[in-house]
Amino acid sequence: MRKPRLLLVDDEVPFVANLLKLLSRRGYEVSAVYDGESALRIVEEKEFDVVILDQNMPGKDGITVLRELKKKWPQLEVVILTGYSSVDMALDGFELGAYDYTTKPIKLGDLEEKIGQAFRRKTLRT
Amino acid sequence: MLGGIEAVKGGPLQVPDVHSRSYPKLLRRFVFGAVICSVLPLLVVGWISYLYYAQFSMSRMAAYFQRTVEYNRKTVESFLDERTSDLKLVAFTHSLDYLKDASNLGQVFHILNREGSFFTDLGVIGLEGKHLAYVGPYDLMDKDYSQTFWFKEVMAKGVYVSDVFMGYREIPHFIIAVLCRKGGATWILRATIYQEFLSSLVETAGLGQTGEVFLVNKDGIYQTSPKFKGKIMDKAAFPMESFTGGSGILSADPIHPPDPFTPESGIVSANLIKYGLLQSSSQQIVAYSWLRHPQWLLVVKQDFSEVFGDINRVNTVVLILLHSCVLAILIVSVFTTGQMVKTLKRRDNEAEELNRQLMQASKLASIGELAAGVAHEINNPLAVILTENQVILDLVETEQGLSTDFKEQFAASLGQIDAQVERCSHITQNLLRFSRRIALPMRFVDLNAAVKDVVGLLEKRAGSRGVQISVDFQEDLPSIRGYDFELEQVFVNLIGNAIDAHEGKPYGSIRITTRRDGKRQGVIATVADTGSGISAENLARVFDPFFTTKPVGQGTGLGLSISYSIIRQMGGAISVRSEEGKGSEFEVFLPCRDGDPDDSAQTRRKESVKRLLAVPAK
Repeated sequence: MRKPRLLLVDDEVPFVANLLKLLSRRGYEVSAVYDGESALRIVEEKEFDVVILDQNMPGKDGITVLRELKKKWPQLEVVILTGYSSVDMALDGFELGAYDYTTKPIKLGDLEEKIGQAFRRKTLRT
Repeated sequence: MLGGIEAVKGGPLQVPDVHSRSYPKLLRRFVFGAVICSVLPLLVVGWISYLYYAQFSMSRMAAYFQRTVEYNRKTVESFLDERTSDLKLVAFTHSLDYLKDASNLGQVFHILNREGSFFTDLGVIGLEGKHLAYVGPYDLMDKDYSQTFWFKEVMAKGVYVSDVFMGYREIPHFIIAVLCRKGGATWILRATIYQEFLSSLVETAGLGQTGEVFLVNKDGIYQTSPKFKGKIMDKAAFPMESFTGGSGILSADPIHPPDPFTPESGIVSANLIKYGLLQSSSQQIVAYSWLRHPQWLLVVKQDFSEVFGDINRVNTVVLILLHSCVLAILIVSVFTTGQMVKTLKRRDNEAEELNRQLMQASKLASIGELAAGVAHEINNPLAVILTENQVILDLVETEQGLSTDFKEQFAASLGQIDAQVERCSHITQNLLRFSRRIALPMRFVDLNAAVKDVVGLLEKRAGSRGVQISVDFQEDLPSIRGYDFELEQVFVNLIGNAIDAHEGKPYGSIRITTRRDGKRQGVIATVADTGSGISAENLARVFDPFFTTKPVGQGTGLGLSISYSIIRQMGGAISVRSEEGKGSEFEVFLPCRDGDPDDSAQTRRKESVKRLLAVPAK
């Protein structure tokens, strides 16, 4: 089974850079953007399986981006990864079709597990 | 139950009494006010009525005594007047010659006594003082009366009624003598009346056991026998000059002087007491009246206690009723005021507790805002550190020139960084959890089952510390409506803390009980331990966020704050009693609420989210 194609959306540049390195090294096809607008643009150009989406970002926040992503690409699985966990936000995320909602900091192994689960669901659905 | 100091969170009636000093004063003021407004007017009206009634009764009794003495005086006077008239009639309708005949005199004597045998004897006496004729039981024909006091008096006045005297016959009697001048002859018609007639005339009926009526002459010699002290012909001990005027009322009771009661009579009363007519030991009333002829004094006397017996009984009943009313008012005033003050105290305490809860909620809200912000700001750097750590670890692992030992030491150091990041993460998760203010869906929760699950989880940990957990669950507890997972977390915190409280002790025990609270319509769970207890200064702060007595790294100080918050959200209360060195007891009260649990599909999903976010607090 191939590794999922990932899109990292987070304004925390060092974090994104590290994840980019770590996940690429583990065989994932990873792209990264630092705001919501860029995320919406890149998914127009490139196909992804799972999006790791931050919640609090400048410009469009994670929930808005999620809403628009799921509207256009409902098959896209989204894992919300945020430093500011809020049940209200999580509920909104689930309502909009997010696969999972998790809080930073997260161990790489745990993140990989969530990515794998999300990808499996996408595979099963398609 | 532990007898130590206590800290309460959420319990409306269990707050320290901050108003205790002012309530007794308030109670005294209320009672004083009630007494002034109700008892005083009642007492004043009651006592005025009593005094007026007593005065009125006194006047009526004085009038009654005056009537009695006047009636007796008139009776005696009428008797003496009638007997005198009888003799006058005989004297003026019969000649001396006729009366000198013993048989004629006997016939007249017989006619005179036909009405009532008043006369003992009857005699016609000449100017020489000797009997001209005599009818009677004694042999007095040869007696010479010329030197007797009565003979001189009748010769001087024409009609004479004597005092009681013994005379020749040595029997108390008195005489009525009438001087008659007719047909050139002068003679005296004299009759004797035994003293018993006088006594029978004096009406004693209606004067009870202590009443008496007697007659004394102007020299103070008893003309009838007094009932109690002295006898006929004795000299009375009291001074006759005390009885001034025609009639009067005297009293040995200066507090209740009958009407009319003059200052002079008061002095007289003192003299009468001195000489024994009135007894100072018992209150008495005396009515007297002077007869016009002879100058005898009629005295009527009776004890106050008997005279006013019925009145006094009525007065006593009235006074008892009055004082009973006063007592009842006092008792009711004290009781109702006590209840009122108690209610006021409870309301004050509730207001105080509400204020405290508001302050606590405000404090928690402020801390929550801060905590959430801090958590967010820390989580992102932590995420960077964690990923950076992983990057370094990857680099080290893929570096060919490094020895295995070096790589292991490096991995261990990086692992330590991981652990510390995780620790920080744990703290921030708790901060976020603490700051969360959302309405979670409620479900029916079986308290016993929830506690049992937690005990099962922690039993092994307790056992490894030598702490034994025992449970005493009341069966058939009503279900409570709340957050099952959150509730379990409360007991994880409480039982976990109880286990930790045995740190440094070789063994100990934790006792967990559940029971129904019928009064507050809820259930109570207690967690009591035999651990180190909590000091007085720490007890008031145990529910404050970030307060912990555990060593650095072993507690965030949020466990009890979160527990408090959870219990409050469920409408309950949590309290703690503790005695340092002996242990602590936490009590959780949870109300039973009506309503269906929110168990929709969406709720279940929300629940799952909640679980995703939940991190047990240390």
